[in-house]
Amino acid sequence: MKTLIIVSHPTVEESGSQQFLIQSLPEDEEITLHILEQTYPDGQIDIEREQALLREHDRILFQFPFYWYSSPPLLKKWQDEVLTDHFAFGYRGTKLHGKEFGLVLVIGLPEKDYQTGGQEGFSISELTKPYQAMAKKTGMTYLKPLTIFQFPYLTETEKKALLIDYQQYLSLPQPISLKRKEEWMLDQLAKTSKDTLPKESAAFVLEAAAEAIEDNRMELDELRLHIDNYDV
Amino acid sequence: MEENQWLIKQLEELERESRDYRQKALLEATIALLEEQKKRREQLQGELDGTLWSPGNWNI
Repeated sequence: MKTLIIVSHPTVEESGSQQFLIQSLPEDEEITLHILEQTYPDGQIDIEREQALLREHDRILFQFPFYWYSSPPLLKKWQDEVLTDHFAFGYRGTKLHGKEFGLVLVIGLPEKDYQTGGQEGFSISELTKPYQAMAKKTGMTYLKPLTIFQFPYLTETEKKALLIDYQQYLSLPQPISLKRKEEWMLDQLAKTSKDTLPKESAAFVLEAAAEAIEDNRMELDELRLHIDNYDV
Repeated sequence: MEENQWLIKQLEELERESRDYRQKALLEATIALLEEQKKRREQLQGELDGTLWSPGNWNI
């Protein structure tokens, strides 16, 4: 599965959250990072190139700071110009059908503000309706967004957890379940470099961790089987 | 799963020593995953106990 991350930010080099996400990207040829403001500093979008990129990928993500309940202007311009009739919708406009679409939103206020009665008064699900409608109209499956609230206030542990959530959001089959996370983790533990681990026992510990994850899974499946069998 | 405690200590040590930030995150996530599995096991065991003790399932 190939994932295209379309980033829009007026000053991406100066954004701590965007730089963190960019540095978090796995070294994976199946993932394409595409920063609109860097690709088109003059704002002139190459529509054919953009449409070709969309065709080549299976999961399309918009990654941006949530400004006034919407995206920075270049991403809106991109939508207006790239998602054309006969390509994204309308007669024979089926080029995006069957793809997945998701949002990676960086939000300045805390999560608790985005609910009825909260300071913002509306949920993120309500405020992102135009993107949901876009996915619907273009035949894409809308994924649960990855929302990052108040990035500068995250603790070091929360940042590391975000890094993993982000990597999984890019490539894991949806919906993300514990079982899928386990499979992903086993794959990553096998791949992680031993060169950055000075301890001699590193390989042994990594292997033991993989075995424990697998053993635990067997135990969980067995328990589930017993419960289901008693369910009369 | 008791040996998980030993393993978690080893993983914490590796995490401290790792020289790669993404690897540190991976090791922390491995610990979190082992803990989540432990929690699920406790939940399922509780559910199984409840099912076994439910007269509705005694088939008598």
